Amino acid sequence: MPVVKLYANLRKLAGTKELSIMGATVGMVVNELVRQSPPLGAVVIENGELRRHIIVTLNGRNITDLETPVTEQDIVAIFPPIAGG
Amino acid sequence: MAGWSEKVLDIDLNTQTYKTYPLDMEMARLFIGGRGIGARLLWDLVGPDVDPLSPENVLIFANGPLTATGYQTSNRFSVTTKSPLTGTVLDANSGGFWGMQFKKAGYDVMIVRGKSPHPVWIEIRNGEILFQDASELWGLRVYALTEKLGQNNHKRNVLCVGPAGENLSRIASIMNDRERALARGGPGAVMGSKNLKAIVVEGQYRPAIADPDRFKFLLYETRKLLAASPLTSQALPEFGTVVLMNIMNNIGALATRNHQQTQFEGAEAISGEELTEKYLVKNASCWACPIGCTRVSKTDRVEGEGPEFETTWAFGAQCGVDDLAAIIEVNSLCNDLGLDTISAGSTIACAMELSEKGYLDSDLRFGRADLLARCVEEMAYRRDLGADLTEGSLRLATKYGRPELSMSAKGLEFPAYDPRGMQGQGLLYATSNRGGCHMRGNMVGLEVLGLPKLIDRFQVQGKSSYVILHQNASAAIDSLVVCKFVNMGVADEYFARVLSAVTGIQYATGDMIRVGERVYNLERLYNNREGFTTKDDTLPPRLLTEAPLDGPSQGWVSNLAPMLREYYRTRGWDENGVPTKRKLADLGLTDLV
Repeated sequence: MPVVKLYANLRKLAGTKELSIMGATVGMVVNELVRQSPPLGAVVIENGELRRHIIVTLNGRNITDLETPVTEQDIVAIFPPIAGG
Repeated sequence: MAGWSEKVLDIDLNTQTYKTYPLDMEMARLFIGGRGIGARLLWDLVGPDVDPLSPENVLIFANGPLTATGYQTSNRFSVTTKSPLTGTVLDANSGGFWGMQFKKAGYDVMIVRGKSPHPVWIEIRNGEILFQDASELWGLRVYALTEKLGQNNHKRNVLCVGPAGENLSRIASIMNDRERALARGGPGAVMGSKNLKAIVVEGQYRPAIADPDRFKFLLYETRKLLAASPLTSQALPEFGTVVLMNIMNNIGALATRNHQQTQFEGAEAISGEELTEKYLVKNASCWACPIGCTRVSKTDRVEGEGPEFETTWAFGAQCGVDDLAAIIEVNSLCNDLGLDTISAGSTIACAMELSEKGYLDSDLRFGRADLLARCVEEMAYRRDLGADLTEGSLRLATKYGRPELSMSAKGLEFPAYDPRGMQGQGLLYATSNRGGCHMRGNMVGLEVLGLPKLIDRFQVQGKSSYVILHQNASAAIDSLVVCKFVNMGVADEYFARVLSAVTGIQYATGDMIRVGERVYNLERLYNNREGFTTKDDTLPPRLLTEAPLDGPSQGWVSNLAPMLREYYRTRGWDENGVPTKRKLADLGLTDLV
């Protein structure tokens, strides 16, 4: 199963840094993640889309299309709104 | 006129005398304050024949029309000088409280010229300028000196140099309010070269505001905008700037071991999440700042502000160190000694690579957290290898025959973002007027975080327009002077409304970016006059030719050449990187050349 890595306050909401989630696309993985960890729902998803400023990467490449396919070996990383410099 | 105090304090340390005179208000209208006014004055005062560490160099401290008005983050100020590290125009700006206090003392600008025959500190109090003997203070570290001179955040504020500035380290910072830094490019060495140990300010005036009702509404609106933004209301207060560590590592753009890799296996151990969980004591804020991004952290040995992301990276990933407690402690040591943490960490990393490859005979090796504090102490006092390290990485690497191992542009060490994974960032570094820097615009928002929108970080064509926009916006914000983090909740154009309410001059949408463009072009003219050419708009060979062997940026190098050509065209500069007469006329700069 693809591995999902969570960062910043998403870890506290999910109670973990990392978990394996079934799904054939990034969107399916994210939806299944939210189903398993409901507190993430209000932070990550809004009207079926990623909330503004939520960052999702697939193997380190930014993803904007939730239909992007994922494989068993892939790593999906999800970051809440972050800033700095 | 409201906003500005319309007053310049001009100090001659040769004679320990001063004069005051009116600020040129046409200059103020065109360049606003801070970095802009600093660049304009430096153009007239310091020519190409001046050695940065000679008495003929000047320090120009400047606030802006918004400073001390109470507008969100209106605490900042800048210092402008010719850099002893790079030889370029240099401005560095800082937050805290000193800038607010300096404005309340009734001045927009303070020029410091010459060199005192003996150590001196300056006290500005009750309208008086006092030259005090600093012979017994010379040698004191920053924390002890700041306390001794009576630091009180809201009444009396101390700006000073530590031993690094006294010993003319080219990477010495000027410190204010104990742990705030005018850090980059070595302004502390300029202050030390003048035998000037500290400037202490007590202010008593309130800046006049042209339209108080309008200003009050804009304050209210800005508060709402910052509260509504998840960036300024949650991300920065909750995790601070170090939260960038994991994402930069995730995307393969976290420079590691002197840019030999773009991912660090120890990133999680030095992340914002780790800092918050194990070392955070509380948040802190600069004056009039509702964001509160400052971390107060504690180890068994130290407690204090920081570390910020760039510091944590410089002593962490860049040195191959995953010991966060050691990084917190060396950050505190740098502040106490008055050293720029980015340049200090990156110069040590350069020495580590030189040593590992046999070009330098030392025990420095990547991962040696136990040697960081020793190196920093040696830098501040020019002891042993520190005498070489304190000259910065380019001089160090050149001395040992491998200048290409300095990870810098124009001699200023880069921050954390590796340009091989962020094409726009490479162009930004190469064209930054003060050298490799992320505060002259930063593409991390657009290329990584999606702020305000996400663009392809590997895209080359069309990147120059984004870089130029960010560079101009940064120059405008640095001239107001406010914190760039406010810009995450408030658009660039909004600042024109605030400036209009404060000064009574009607600045239109787009005027702020135009001010920034004017400042950027003036700085470029200054560097051109110093002899910098298009050959200096470049990156180290490693970043142009050595692609990462693995990770998300695998196979990529910085594709600088086409971006640079496009950049010059878009800027309205000729093929040699010189602003054209037409561009200068457009910006009202014709009289300078």
